[in-house]
Amino acid sequence: MSARQRAHPLLFLTALAAAIVFAFPIWFMVTSAFKAEPEIQAIPIHWLPHDFQWLNRFREAADFAPLWRYFFNSTLLSLVHVAITVFFGALAGFGFAKYRFPGRSVLFFCVICTLMIPFQILVVPLFIEIKAFGWQNSYPGLIIPGMMNAFGVFMMRQYAADLPDELLEAGRVDGAGEFHMFLRIVLPLLLPALTSLAIIVFIWSWGSFLWPLVIVQDRELNVLAVGLTNYSQPYQHAPMWGAAMAASTVATIPIACLFVFFQRYFIKGLTAAAVKG
Amino acid sequence: MRTGPVRRWGPLGRRWWGLIFVLPVVGYFAVFSIFPVLFGFTLSLTDYDLLDPPDWVGFDNFRNLFTDHLFLTALGNTLMFVAGATVPVWLVSLLAALLFDQAFRGREILKTLFFLPVLPPVVVVAVVWRMLLHPNGIMTWLAGAWRGVTEIDWLSSTALAPLSMIAVHDWAAIPFFMLIWLAGLAGIPPELRDAAHIDGATPARTFWHIDLPQLRSTAVLVAALSTINAFQTFTLQYVLSTDPGGPANSTLVLGLLVLKYGFQYFRMGDAAAVSVVMFAMILTVTAAQLWFNRRVS
Repeated sequence: MSARQRAHPLLFLTALAAAIVFAFPIWFMVTSAFKAEPEIQAIPIHWLPHDFQWLNRFREAADFAPLWRYFFNSTLLSLVHVAITVFFGALAGFGFAKYRFPGRSVLFFCVICTLMIPFQILVVPLFIEIKAFGWQNSYPGLIIPGMMNAFGVFMMRQYAADLPDELLEAGRVDGAGEFHMFLRIVLPLLLPALTSLAIIVFIWSWGSFLWPLVIVQDRELNVLAVGLTNYSQPYQHAPMWGAAMAASTVATIPIACLFVFFQRYFIKGLTAAAVKG
Repeated sequence: MRTGPVRRWGPLGRRWWGLIFVLPVVGYFAVFSIFPVLFGFTLSLTDYDLLDPPDWVGFDNFRNLFTDHLFLTALGNTLMFVAGATVPVWLVSLLAALLFDQAFRGREILKTLFFLPVLPPVVVVAVVWRMLLHPNGIMTWLAGAWRGVTEIDWLSSTALAPLSMIAVHDWAAIPFFMLIWLAGLAGIPPELRDAAHIDGATPARTFWHIDLPQLRSTAVLVAALSTINAFQTFTLQYVLSTDPGGPANSTLVLGLLVLKYGFQYFRMGDAAAVSVVMFAMILTVTAAQLWFNRRVS
């Protein structure tokens, strides 16, 4: 409390200025999604829509390109990636943490190495590989590469290592098989960490751009991130800023919701992902 | 392993379960990470256009890069982008963290507003700024109206476009790295600061002698991570620029060159060679990070 009273008004003013500068583009994006088209580039700026448009810009975006199909594809891609990384990441992390089997260190080293591979290194050979599988321009080709993230294994191994052995032994005494014990005892104990992991994987997959760009040609298979460019730089057409801002808002809403409803896990996930090195 | 009366799986039998648990993941990475990387190294030693079978050319692709105008341009642009996307980000995100670490009224709401740029995906960032940076758009109005300037070529001048990329990147990166600094600051034991306070240290001296030494590993982390991210930059240069890498290749970066060689010119060998060079540079940064970390701790 004493610190609060001593706080210099200059601190508040600096923070206010910084917050305005950084939040302004987001404010402009969201308000522009509800403006009439000529208002968007109006000078001087319209801080709020003068001619409030409700959902017209969103409808326009959905008429010009399959916006909701993009949204569905992005959701499908992200949820599959989250489910696979969370389940198999926890399973492998638990396996690496609590069992001593031959080849454990070598295999874990291989998994950690994949963490250091930037995606640009993979894109050309992976494209040729996926083409050879015949998965080009299809959902398997879009979703399967990248659906498992090594970071999940790394993070879950750390959390699984902290689980007390006594709990696992108790599960074994009950006569449960090892896999059953994983489902019944380990997964529930890892739930808080799994939530953070799920959020960070969702953010990564939702924003993925390079792979969908090269592997998919059909409009109907594209994700929101790639589809967005249809509005800002349409082929032989002037930019549709209203539709672009409406679609951009749609593309931001899922992540904003995660932030609002799971703020603590959201921040934890982002920090954990950065610290992994 | 403890011995108990009820032990269905002997230590020998049970440990194989560990192998079974990790196998799906290991198998997946073998097919979708390890194999493509090794395949990429091989590919970089060939000429391959996706139609005819690959020709083995040894290290020719790498040798040619040294005289390849596009590669040298992209390398220069990437290094400039890395410089602009690391030093200011490191400094401003630290200042922002120190600011939002203070106690003042309205701190939480202002911190949340400051944090907003982390939420939209990079493509959204690019699309929104493409509109804001329209030659006669909002940013021109904010930057130029008071001195009578009505048109600024933020993205269509070869001098300004690379700087615009850096500014937009930094706008999105600074709040993210502020978060990392804040996590570092939260890890400093409060007793240390209290002790300094009781001893009558000024805030500046407390920061210099207490906070800064405690933040050393965070400092290395932010420097390394921002460098690695900057080396991999691609989406901004693809979506925000007037044309991918433009104008006149002024925003052509290595990540974009891989795409250009691979999927526009169908020179898979050259694309793979460029990506191997990128990989080497990123590994160097990672090695430097590990070395600094060892020295710091």
